[in-house]
Amino acid sequence: MRFPSRLLAANMWFAVMLWAGYLVLVTVITLAVELFGELNQSAWEQATQLPRWYAFFTGVTLVRQFLPLYIAHGQTRREFGAQAAVTVALFAPFLSALITISYLLETALYGLLDRPQVISQAHLFTEPTQVPLVFAEYLLEFLVWIIGGSFIGAGFYRWGAGGLLTIPVGILLAVLAETATGGELRLPLLRVIDLNLSPSAAMTAGVGIGAFVLGLALTWPLIRDVPLRNKA
Amino acid sequence: MRVDAHDLVLRYGDVTALDRMSFSLEPGKIYGLLGRNGSGKTSLLSVLAAFRKHSEGTVRVDGAPVFENRDVTRRVSLIRDTGETVDISSAEDALEFAKWLRPDWDAALAASLMDTFAINPKKEVSGMSKGQRSALGVIVGLAGRAPLTMFDESYLGMDAPARHAFYDALLADYMAHPRTIILSTHLIEEVSSLFEEVLIIDRGRLLVQEEAETLLSRGTSVTGPILQVDAFTEGMTVLGARELGPTKSAMVYGHLDDVRRKRAVESGLDLGPIAMQDLFVHLTGGPR
Repeated sequence: MRFPSRLLAANMWFAVMLWAGYLVLVTVITLAVELFGELNQSAWEQATQLPRWYAFFTGVTLVRQFLPLYIAHGQTRREFGAQAAVTVALFAPFLSALITISYLLETALYGLLDRPQVISQAHLFTEPTQVPLVFAEYLLEFLVWIIGGSFIGAGFYRWGAGGLLTIPVGILLAVLAETATGGELRLPLLRVIDLNLSPSAAMTAGVGIGAFVLGLALTWPLIRDVPLRNKA
Repeated sequence: MRVDAHDLVLRYGDVTALDRMSFSLEPGKIYGLLGRNGSGKTSLLSVLAAFRKHSEGTVRVDGAPVFENRDVTRRVSLIRDTGETVDISSAEDALEFAKWLRPDWDAALAASLMDTFAINPKKEVSGMSKGQRSALGVIVGLAGRAPLTMFDESYLGMDAPARHAFYDALLADYMAHPRTIILSTHLIEEVSSLFEEVLIIDRGRLLVQEEAETLLSRGTSVTGPILQVDAFTEGMTVLGARELGPTKSAMVYGHLDDVRRKRAVESGLDLGPIAMQDLFVHLTGGPR
Protein backbone atom coordinates (compact mmCIF):
# COMPACT_ATOMS: atom_id res chain seq x y z
CA MET A 1 0.00 0.00 0.00
CA ARG A 2 1.14 3.49 -0.82
CA PHE A 3 1.82 5.75 2.16
CA PRO A 4 -0.99 8.35 2.38
CA SER A 5 1.37 11.31 2.31
CA ARG A 6 -0.97 13.65 0.42
CA LEU A 7 -3.94 12.88 2.62
CA LEU A 8 -1.86 13.42 5.72
CA ALA A 9 -0.18 16.54 4.38
CA ALA A 10 -3.52 18.09 3.43
CA ASN A 11 -4.92 17.52 6.92
CA MET A 12 -1.74 18.38 8.83
CA TRP A 13 -1.17 21.64 6.99
CA PHE A 14 -4.74 22.76 7.65
CA ALA A 15 -4.46 21.68 11.30
CA VAL A 16 -1.26 23.68 11.84
CA MET A 17 -2.85 26.80 10.35
CA LEU A 18 -5.88 26.40 12.61
CA TRP A 19 -3.75 25.64 15.64
CA ALA A 20 -1.59 28.74 15.13
CA GLY A 21 -4.69 30.93 14.99
CA TYR A 22 -6.26 29.17 17.95
CA LEU A 23 -3.06 29.47 19.98
CA VAL A 24 -3.07 33.23 19.45
CA LEU A 25 -6.77 33.43 20.38
CA VAL A 26 -6.36 31.40 23.58
CA THR A 27 -3.29 33.45 24.55
CA VAL A 28 -5.17 36.72 24.01
CA ILE A 29 -8.08 35.45 26.13
CA THR A 30 -5.62 34.30 28.82
CA LEU A 31 -4.01 37.75 28.91
CA ALA A 32 -7.43 39.39 28.98
CA VAL A 33 -8.42 37.31 32.00
CA GLU A 34 -5.13 38.26 33.65
CA LEU A 35 -5.77 41.95 32.99
CA PHE A 36 -9.48 42.14 33.80
CA GLY A 37 -10.07 39.18 36.11
CA GLU A 38 -8.33 36.49 38.06
CA LEU A 39 -6.15 33.99 36.21
CA ASN A 40 -6.07 30.97 38.48
CA GLN A 41 -6.42 27.92 36.23
CA SER A 42 -5.23 26.54 32.91
CA ALA A 43 -6.94 28.13 29.92
CA TRP A 44 -5.93 25.29 27.63
CA GLU A 45 -7.78 22.81 29.76
CA GLN A 46 -10.98 24.57 28.71
CA ALA A 47 -9.73 25.30 25.20
CA THR A 48 -9.42 21.61 24.28
CA GLN A 49 -13.20 21.37 23.82
CA LEU A 50 -13.04 22.85 20.30
CA PRO A 51 -10.13 20.73 18.97
CA ARG A 52 -12.04 17.53 19.70
CA TRP A 53 -14.88 18.79 17.48
CA TYR A 54 -12.31 19.69 14.84
CA ALA A 55 -11.06 16.11 15.10
CA PHE A 56 -14.62 14.85 14.77
CA PHE A 57 -15.24 16.84 11.58
CA THR A 58 -11.89 15.74 10.20
CA GLY A 59 -13.27 12.22 10.48
CA VAL A 60 -16.50 13.24 8.77
CA THR A 61 -14.55 14.96 5.98
CA LEU A 62 -12.39 11.90 5.42
CA VAL A 63 -15.47 10.04 4.23
CA ARG A 64 -17.59 12.89 2.87
CA GLN A 65 -14.86 14.52 0.79
CA PHE A 66 -11.88 12.23 0.38
CA LEU A 67 -13.67 8.92 -0.24
CA PRO A 68 -15.40 10.28 -3.40
CA LEU A 69 -12.14 11.96 -4.45
CA TYR A 70 -10.20 8.71 -4.13
CA ILE A 71 -12.78 6.60 -5.95
CA ALA A 72 -13.16 9.18 -8.72
CA HIS A 73 -9.41 8.96 -9.19
CA GLY A 74 -9.55 5.22 -9.66
CA GLN A 75 -8.67 4.03 -6.16
CA THR A 76 -10.70 1.26 -4.58
CA ARG A 77 -12.68 1.59 -1.38
CA ARG A 78 -10.29 -0.92 0.15
CA GLU A 79 -7.30 1.27 -0.73
CA PHE A 80 -9.05 4.33 0.65
CA GLY A 81 -9.97 2.48 3.85
CA ALA A 82 -6.36 1.49 4.43
CA GLN A 83 -5.06 4.98 3.67
CA ALA A 84 -7.70 6.59 5.88
CA ALA A 85 -6.86 4.24 8.77
CA VAL A 86 -3.16 5.08 8.53
CA THR A 87 -4.03 8.76 8.26
CA VAL A 88 -6.14 8.66 11.42
CA ALA A 89 -3.48 6.65 13.25
CA LEU A 90 -0.88 9.31 12.44
CA PHE A 91 -3.03 12.42 12.49
CA ALA A 92 -4.35 11.81 16.02
CA PRO A 93 -0.86 11.83 17.61
CA PHE A 94 -0.03 14.88 15.51
CA LEU A 95 -3.02 16.75 16.98
CA SER A 96 -2.16 15.45 20.43
CA ALA A 97 1.38 16.78 20.03
CA LEU A 98 -0.01 20.22 19.16
CA ILE A 99 -2.14 20.22 22.31
CA THR A 100 0.82 19.03 24.41
CA ILE A 101 2.95 21.86 23.00
CA SER A 102 0.12 24.28 23.77
CA TYR A 103 0.13 23.21 27.43
CA LEU A 104 3.91 23.66 27.60
CA LEU A 105 3.72 27.12 26.02
CA GLU A 106 1.03 27.94 28.54
CA THR A 107 3.31 26.74 31.33
CA ALA A 108 5.94 29.20 30.12
CA LEU A 109 3.39 32.02 29.88
CA TYR A 110 2.00 31.36 33.37
CA GLY A 111 5.59 31.28 34.67
CA LEU A 112 6.20 34.74 33.21
CA LEU A 113 2.97 36.00 34.75
CA ASP A 114 3.69 34.17 38.00
CA ARG A 115 0.29 32.47 37.96
CA PRO A 116 -0.62 28.91 38.94
CA GLN A 117 -1.49 26.66 35.97
CA VAL A 118 -4.11 24.73 37.91
CA ILE A 119 -5.79 21.73 36.32
CA SER A 120 -9.32 21.71 37.71
CA GLN A 121 -10.80 18.56 36.21
CA ALA A 122 -9.95 14.86 36.42
CA HIS A 123 -7.36 13.81 33.84
CA LEU A 124 -4.79 11.17 33.26
CA PHE A 125 -2.27 13.85 34.26
CA THR A 126 -2.17 16.14 37.28
CA GLU A 127 0.39 18.63 35.94
CA PRO A 128 0.51 19.99 32.35
CA THR A 129 4.24 19.28 32.36
CA GLN A 130 3.64 15.51 32.54
CA VAL A 131 4.20 15.36 28.81
CA PRO A 132 3.75 11.59 28.19
CA LEU A 133 0.45 11.52 30.09
CA VAL A 134 -0.86 14.71 28.46
CA PHE A 135 0.07 13.29 25.08
CA ALA A 136 -1.51 9.91 25.83
CA GLU A 137 -4.78 11.40 27.02
CA TYR A 138 -5.30 13.63 24.00
CA LEU A 139 -4.07 10.92 21.65
CA LEU A 140 -6.85 8.66 22.88
CA GLU A 141 -9.38 11.46 22.71
CA PHE A 142 -8.49 12.46 19.14
CA LEU A 143 -8.28 8.86 17.94
CA VAL A 144 -11.79 8.21 19.18
CA TRP A 145 -13.28 11.47 17.98
CA ILE A 146 -11.79 11.16 14.48
CA ILE A 147 -12.85 7.56 14.07
CA GLY A 148 -16.27 8.42 15.54
CA GLY A 149 -16.57 11.22 12.99
CA SER A 150 -15.61 8.82 10.20
CA PHE A 151 -18.22 6.31 11.34
CA ILE A 152 -21.01 8.87 11.63
CA GLY A 153 -19.90 10.55 8.38
CA ALA A 154 -20.03 7.17 6.63
CA GLY A 155 -23.51 6.57 8.03
CA PHE A 156 -24.82 9.86 6.68
CA TYR A 157 -23.01 9.43 3.35
CA ARG A 158 -24.52 6.00 2.85
CA TRP A 159 -27.99 6.40 4.30
CA GLY A 160 -28.65 10.15 4.29
CA ALA A 161 -30.89 10.98 7.25
CA GLY A 162 -30.65 7.33 8.30
CA GLY A 163 -27.15 8.21 9.45
CA LEU A 164 -28.77 9.54 12.63
CA LEU A 165 -28.75 5.93 13.80
CA THR A 166 -24.95 6.00 13.96
CA ILE A 167 -24.82 8.93 16.38
CA PRO A 168 -25.50 6.92 19.57
CA VAL A 169 -22.63 4.58 18.70
CA GLY A 170 -20.33 7.55 18.10
CA ILE A 171 -21.34 9.04 21.45
CA LEU A 172 -20.70 5.75 23.20
CA LEU A 173 -17.16 5.70 21.79
CA ALA A 174 -16.58 9.25 23.06
CA VAL A 175 -17.94 8.41 26.51
CA LEU A 176 -15.67 5.39 26.69
CA ALA A 177 -12.64 7.52 25.82
CA GLU A 178 -13.50 10.22 28.36
CA THR A 179 -14.07 7.73 31.11
CA ALA A 180 -10.82 5.95 30.37
CA THR A 181 -8.92 9.20 30.92
CA GLY A 182 -10.86 10.22 34.00
CA GLY A 183 -12.48 13.09 32.14
CA GLU A 184 -16.04 14.16 31.92
CA LEU A 185 -17.71 14.71 28.58
CA ARG A 186 -19.59 17.97 28.83
CA LEU A 187 -22.40 17.20 26.47
CA PRO A 188 -26.09 17.43 27.43
CA LEU A 189 -27.62 14.30 28.99
CA LEU A 190 -24.35 12.43 29.05
CA ARG A 191 -23.78 12.63 32.78
CA VAL A 192 -26.28 9.84 33.18
CA ILE A 193 -23.81 7.52 31.45
CA ASP A 194 -21.01 6.72 33.83
CA LEU A 195 -18.92 3.66 33.19
CA ASN A 196 -17.07 4.35 36.44
CA LEU A 197 -13.68 3.12 35.26
CA SER A 198 -10.46 4.00 37.04
CA PRO A 199 -8.12 5.60 34.51
CA SER A 200 -4.55 4.46 34.07
CA ALA A 201 -1.99 4.68 31.30
CA ALA A 202 -2.48 1.02 30.45
CA MET A 203 -6.23 1.39 30.33
CA THR A 204 -5.89 4.51 28.16
CA ALA A 205 -3.72 2.62 25.72
CA GLY A 206 -6.06 -0.38 25.73
CA VAL A 207 -9.20 1.70 25.30
CA GLY A 208 -7.54 3.85 22.66
CA ILE A 209 -6.46 0.90 20.53
CA GLY A 210 -9.73 -0.91 21.17
CA ALA A 211 -11.90 2.07 20.26
CA PHE A 212 -9.81 2.74 17.15
CA VAL A 213 -10.10 -0.86 15.95
CA LEU A 214 -13.80 -0.95 16.84
CA GLY A 215 -14.40 2.31 14.98
CA LEU A 216 -12.62 0.95 11.90
CA ALA A 217 -14.55 -2.30 12.11
CA LEU A 218 -17.84 -0.41 12.30
CA THR A 219 -16.98 2.02 9.49
CA TRP A 220 -15.68 -0.50 6.95
CA PRO A 221 -19.04 -2.25 6.33
CA LEU A 222 -20.56 1.16 5.60
CA ILE A 223 -18.03 2.11 2.92
CA ARG A 224 -16.93 -1.22 1.44
CA ASP A 225 -19.49 -1.03 -1.39
CA VAL A 226 -20.93 2.45 -0.90
CA PRO A 227 -22.04 4.08 -4.16
CA LEU A 228 -20.87 7.59 -4.92
CA ARG A 229 -23.74 10.01 -4.74
CA ASN A 230 -25.14 11.33 -8.01
CA LYS A 231 -25.62 14.77 -6.52
CA ALA A 232 -23.03 16.98 -4.86
CA MET B 1 -9.60 -0.07 -23.23
CA ARG B 2 -12.25 -2.51 -24.32
CA VAL B 3 -15.58 -2.51 -22.51
CA ASP B 4 -18.00 -5.44 -22.46
CA ALA B 5 -21.35 -5.32 -20.70
CA HIS B 6 -23.68 -8.29 -20.66
CA ASP B 7 -27.21 -8.25 -19.30
CA LEU B 8 -26.24 -5.35 -17.09
CA VAL B 9 -28.82 -4.44 -14.48
CA LEU B 10 -28.75 -1.65 -11.93
CA ARG B 11 -31.59 -1.11 -9.50
CA TYR B 12 -32.20 1.65 -6.98
CA GLY B 13 -34.80 0.07 -4.74
CA ASP B 14 -37.84 -0.45 -6.97
CA VAL B 15 -36.42 1.59 -9.85
CA THR B 16 -34.54 -0.24 -12.60
CA ALA B 17 -32.03 2.23 -13.99
CA LEU B 18 -30.26 -0.24 -16.30
CA ASP B 19 -32.39 -3.00 -17.72
CA ARG B 20 -30.42 -5.96 -19.15
CA MET B 21 -28.09 -3.80 -21.19
CA SER B 22 -25.51 -5.53 -23.38
CA PHE B 23 -22.90 -3.92 -25.59
CA SER B 24 -19.21 -3.92 -26.42
CA LEU B 25 -16.94 -0.96 -27.03
CA GLU B 26 -13.77 -1.36 -29.02
CA PRO B 27 -10.70 0.45 -27.67
CA GLY B 28 -9.40 3.69 -29.13
CA LYS B 29 -12.60 5.39 -30.19
CA ILE B 30 -14.66 8.39 -29.14
CA TYR B 31 -18.16 7.27 -28.22
CA GLY B 32 -21.21 9.43 -27.79
CA LEU B 33 -23.64 8.28 -25.12
CA LEU B 34 -27.01 9.85 -25.77
CA GLY B 35 -30.23 9.53 -23.86
CA ARG B 36 -33.00 11.59 -22.41
CA ASN B 37 -33.11 12.70 -18.80
CA GLY B 38 -33.44 9.65 -16.58
CA SER B 39 -32.55 7.26 -19.41
CA GLY B 40 -29.71 5.72 -17.40
CA LYS B 41 -26.62 7.49 -18.81
CA THR B 42 -25.18 8.50 -15.44
CA SER B 43 -26.02 5.10 -13.97
CA LEU B 44 -24.24 3.32 -16.80
CA LEU B 45 -21.12 5.48 -16.57
CA SER B 46 -21.13 5.12 -12.77
CA VAL B 47 -21.06 1.36 -13.10
CA LEU B 48 -18.27 1.48 -15.71
CA ALA B 49 -16.19 3.66 -13.35
CA ALA B 50 -16.95 1.56 -10.25
CA PHE B 51 -18.74 4.48 -8.65
CA ARG B 52 -21.58 2.00 -8.14
CA LYS B 53 -21.87 -1.74 -7.96
CA HIS B 54 -24.25 -3.19 -10.53
CA SER B 55 -27.14 -5.42 -9.41
CA GLU B 56 -26.92 -8.17 -12.02
CA GLY B 57 -25.06 -9.10 -15.19
CA THR B 58 -21.42 -8.52 -15.94
CA VAL B 59 -19.28 -5.57 -16.90
CA ARG B 60 -15.67 -6.06 -17.89
CA VAL B 61 -12.98 -3.62 -18.92
CA ASP B 62 -10.17 -5.23 -20.87
CA GLY B 63 -11.63 -8.55 -19.82
CA ALA B 64 -11.52 -7.90 -16.07
CA PRO B 65 -14.34 -7.04 -13.65
CA VAL B 66 -14.41 -3.39 -12.64
CA PHE B 67 -15.80 -2.99 -9.14
CA GLU B 68 -13.08 -2.81 -6.49
CA ASN B 69 -10.48 -3.98 -8.99
CA ARG B 70 -7.61 -1.52 -8.73
CA ASP B 71 -5.85 -2.84 -11.83
CA VAL B 72 -8.85 -1.62 -13.80
CA THR B 73 -10.16 1.37 -11.85
CA ARG B 74 -6.84 3.20 -11.77
CA ARG B 75 -7.01 3.26 -15.57
CA VAL B 76 -10.61 4.48 -15.70
CA SER B 77 -11.73 8.08 -15.21
CA LEU B 78 -15.23 9.46 -14.97
CA ILE B 79 -15.68 13.21 -14.63
CA ARG B 80 -19.14 14.23 -13.52
CA ASP B 81 -20.75 17.55 -12.81
CA THR B 82 -20.91 16.63 -9.12
CA GLY B 83 -17.24 17.57 -8.82
CA GLU B 84 -15.77 14.66 -6.83
CA THR B 85 -12.33 15.34 -8.26
CA VAL B 86 -12.27 19.10 -7.74
CA ASP B 87 -14.22 19.88 -4.55
CA ILE B 88 -11.16 20.25 -2.38
CA SER B 89 -9.84 23.62 -1.19
CA SER B 90 -7.93 25.22 -4.09
CA ALA B 91 -7.57 24.33 -7.77
CA GLU B 92 -3.90 23.70 -7.10
CA ASP B 93 -4.80 21.14 -4.41
CA ALA B 94 -7.21 19.38 -6.77
CA LEU B 95 -4.44 19.05 -9.36
CA GLU B 96 -1.95 17.87 -6.74
CA PHE B 97 -4.27 15.08 -5.64
CA ALA B 98 -4.90 14.12 -9.26
CA LYS B 99 -1.16 14.03 -9.91
CA TRP B 100 -0.66 11.85 -6.84
CA LEU B 101 -3.47 9.40 -7.60
CA ARG B 102 -3.46 9.22 -11.41
CA PRO B 103 -0.69 7.02 -12.85
CA ASP B 104 -0.78 8.64 -16.32
CA TRP B 105 -1.09 12.25 -15.13
CA ASP B 106 0.34 14.85 -17.53
CA ALA B 107 1.22 17.91 -15.44
CA ALA B 108 2.31 19.93 -18.47
CA LEU B 109 -1.05 19.40 -20.17
CA ALA B 110 -2.84 20.35 -16.94
CA ALA B 111 -0.82 23.57 -16.68
CA SER B 112 -1.48 24.40 -20.31
CA LEU B 113 -5.23 23.82 -19.92
CA MET B 114 -5.29 25.92 -16.74
CA ASP B 115 -4.02 28.78 -18.93
CA THR B 116 -6.48 28.00 -21.71
CA PHE B 117 -9.43 28.15 -19.31
CA ALA B 118 -7.91 31.06 -17.33
CA ILE B 119 -8.18 29.31 -13.98
CA ASN B 120 -6.18 30.73 -11.10
CA PRO B 121 -4.50 27.75 -9.35
CA LYS B 122 -4.66 29.50 -5.99
CA LYS B 123 -8.39 30.10 -6.16
CA GLU B 124 -10.65 28.18 -3.80
CA VAL B 125 -12.88 25.80 -5.75
CA SER B 126 -15.86 26.68 -3.56
CA GLY B 127 -15.54 30.30 -4.72
CA MET B 128 -15.42 29.44 -8.42
CA SER B 129 -18.22 29.98 -10.90
CA LYS B 130 -20.06 26.95 -12.25
CA GLY B 131 -18.15 27.30 -15.52
CA GLN B 132 -14.77 27.42 -13.80
CA ARG B 133 -15.57 24.33 -11.71
CA SER B 134 -16.63 22.50 -14.85
CA ALA B 135 -13.46 23.59 -16.64
CA LEU B 136 -11.34 22.36 -13.73
CA GLY B 137 -13.16 19.02 -13.95
CA VAL B 138 -12.40 18.58 -17.63
CA ILE B 139 -8.77 19.56 -17.01
CA VAL B 140 -8.51 16.76 -14.43
CA GLY B 141 -10.21 14.39 -16.89
CA LEU B 142 -8.00 15.23 -19.85
CA ALA B 143 -4.68 15.48 -18.01
CA GLY B 144 -5.42 12.20 -16.20
CA ARG B 145 -4.98 10.44 -19.59
CA ALA B 146 -6.86 7.40 -18.32
CA PRO B 147 -7.13 4.73 -21.04
CA LEU B 148 -10.89 4.82 -20.49
CA THR B 149 -11.96 8.43 -19.96
CA MET B 150 -15.60 9.40 -19.56
CA PHE B 151 -17.23 12.81 -19.27
CA ASP B 152 -20.78 12.83 -17.99
CA GLU B 153 -22.14 16.21 -19.07
CA SER B 154 -19.31 17.62 -17.04
CA TYR B 155 -18.82 20.54 -19.41
CA LEU B 156 -22.41 21.81 -19.51
CA GLY B 157 -21.60 24.56 -17.03
CA MET B 158 -19.01 26.06 -19.38
CA ASP B 159 -19.90 28.84 -21.79
CA ALA B 160 -19.80 28.23 -25.56
CA PRO B 161 -16.22 29.44 -26.19
CA ALA B 162 -14.94 27.36 -23.26
CA ARG B 163 -16.83 24.29 -24.47
CA HIS B 164 -15.31 24.63 -27.92
CA ALA B 165 -11.87 25.02 -26.36
CA PHE B 166 -12.58 21.77 -24.51
CA TYR B 167 -13.62 19.98 -27.71
CA ASP B 168 -10.44 21.19 -29.44
CA ALA B 169 -8.26 20.12 -26.51
CA LEU B 170 -9.95 16.75 -26.28
CA LEU B 171 -9.56 16.04 -29.97
CA ALA B 172 -5.92 17.18 -30.04
CA ASP B 173 -5.01 15.07 -27.02
CA TYR B 174 -6.95 12.08 -28.35
CA MET B 175 -5.04 12.28 -31.64
CA ALA B 176 -1.73 12.43 -29.77
CA HIS B 177 -2.71 9.80 -27.18
CA PRO B 178 -5.49 7.59 -28.56
CA ARG B 179 -7.72 6.10 -25.87
CA THR B 180 -11.33 5.14 -25.31
CA ILE B 181 -13.41 8.21 -24.59
CA ILE B 182 -17.12 8.31 -23.79
CA LEU B 183 -18.96 11.62 -23.90
CA SER B 184 -22.43 11.78 -22.43
CA THR B 185 -24.22 14.92 -23.50
CA HIS B 186 -27.43 16.73 -24.30
CA LEU B 187 -25.58 19.14 -26.60
CA ILE B 188 -25.78 16.65 -29.44
CA GLU B 189 -25.26 18.98 -32.37
CA GLU B 190 -22.31 20.65 -30.71
CA VAL B 191 -20.44 17.44 -29.97
CA SER B 192 -21.66 14.98 -32.59
CA SER B 193 -18.80 15.71 -34.98
CA LEU B 194 -16.44 14.20 -32.39
CA PHE B 195 -18.29 10.89 -32.16
CA GLU B 196 -16.98 7.88 -34.01
CA GLU B 197 -19.68 5.66 -32.60
CA VAL B 198 -22.94 6.42 -30.87
CA LEU B 199 -24.95 4.63 -28.21
CA ILE B 200 -28.49 5.78 -27.61
CA ILE B 201 -30.20 4.52 -24.49
CA ASP B 202 -33.71 4.99 -23.25
CA ARG B 203 -35.40 3.81 -20.07
CA GLY B 204 -32.32 1.81 -19.14
CA ARG B 205 -32.19 -0.09 -22.42
CA LEU B 206 -29.83 0.20 -25.35
CA LEU B 207 -31.74 1.44 -28.40
CA VAL B 208 -28.95 1.96 -30.89
CA GLN B 209 -25.23 1.32 -31.13
CA GLU B 210 -23.81 2.33 -34.47
CA GLU B 211 -20.98 4.11 -36.17
CA ALA B 212 -21.86 7.81 -36.25
CA GLU B 213 -21.79 7.85 -40.05
CA THR B 214 -24.06 4.82 -40.29
CA LEU B 215 -26.50 6.38 -37.86
CA LEU B 216 -26.51 9.64 -39.79
CA SER B 217 -27.12 7.74 -43.04
CA ARG B 218 -30.40 6.56 -41.57
CA GLY B 219 -31.81 10.03 -42.00
CA THR B 220 -32.02 12.19 -45.10
CA SER B 221 -33.34 15.64 -45.81
CA VAL B 222 -35.35 15.88 -49.02
CA THR B 223 -35.69 19.40 -50.43
CA GLY B 224 -37.55 20.63 -53.50
CA PRO B 225 -40.95 21.69 -54.78
CA ILE B 226 -43.73 20.82 -52.33
CA LEU B 227 -45.59 18.39 -54.62
CA GLN B 228 -42.48 16.46 -55.61
CA VAL B 229 -41.31 16.21 -51.98
CA ASP B 230 -44.73 14.99 -50.84
CA ALA B 231 -44.84 12.42 -53.65
CA PHE B 232 -41.32 11.20 -52.93
CA THR B 233 -41.82 10.88 -49.17
CA GLU B 234 -45.20 9.20 -49.33
CA GLY B 235 -45.09 6.00 -47.27
CA MET B 236 -41.80 6.96 -45.63
CA THR B 237 -41.25 7.93 -41.98
CA VAL B 238 -41.15 11.72 -42.00
CA LEU B 239 -39.50 13.13 -38.88
CA GLY B 240 -40.40 16.74 -39.67
CA ALA B 241 -40.90 19.20 -42.49
CA ARG B 242 -40.61 22.91 -43.20
CA GLU B 243 -42.01 24.97 -46.03
CA LEU B 244 -40.75 28.23 -47.46
CA GLY B 245 -42.92 29.48 -50.33
CA PRO B 246 -43.09 26.74 -52.96
CA THR B 247 -40.17 24.84 -51.43
CA LYS B 248 -40.40 22.12 -48.84
CA SER B 249 -37.76 20.34 -46.86
CA ALA B 250 -38.66 17.05 -45.19
CA MET B 251 -36.56 14.86 -42.93
CA VAL B 252 -37.11 11.19 -43.56
CA TYR B 253 -35.95 8.23 -41.50
CA GLY B 254 -34.75 5.03 -43.11
CA HIS B 255 -32.15 3.91 -45.54
CA LEU B 256 -32.51 5.25 -49.09
CA ASP B 257 -31.32 2.76 -51.67
CA ASP B 258 -29.73 3.74 -54.97
CA VAL B 259 -33.02 3.39 -56.87
CA ARG B 260 -34.76 5.87 -54.60
CA ARG B 261 -31.82 8.25 -54.69
CA LYS B 262 -31.83 8.16 -58.49
CA ARG B 263 -35.57 8.82 -58.49
CA ALA B 264 -35.07 11.82 -56.23
CA VAL B 265 -32.49 13.32 -58.53
CA GLU B 266 -34.75 12.76 -61.53
CA SER B 267 -37.54 14.55 -59.65
CA GLY B 268 -35.31 17.57 -59.10
CA LEU B 269 -34.99 16.94 -55.39
CA ASP B 270 -31.91 17.65 -53.30
CA LEU B 271 -30.88 14.99 -50.78
CA GLY B 272 -28.75 15.86 -47.79
CA PRO B 273 -27.81 14.72 -44.31
CA ILE B 274 -29.92 15.50 -41.28
CA ALA B 275 -28.81 16.42 -37.82
CA MET B 276 -28.02 13.69 -35.30
CA GLN B 277 -30.25 15.47 -32.83
CA ASP B 278 -33.29 15.02 -35.10
CA LEU B 279 -32.57 11.30 -35.34
CA PHE B 280 -32.15 11.16 -31.57
CA VAL B 281 -35.51 12.83 -30.97
CA HIS B 282 -37.17 10.40 -33.35
CA LEU B 283 -35.51 7.31 -31.90
CA THR B 284 -36.29 8.22 -28.31
CA GLY B 285 -39.94 8.80 -29.02
CA GLY B 286 -40.55 12.55 -29.11
CA PRO B 287 -42.10 14.53 -26.25
CA ARG B 288 -43.17 12.70 -23.07
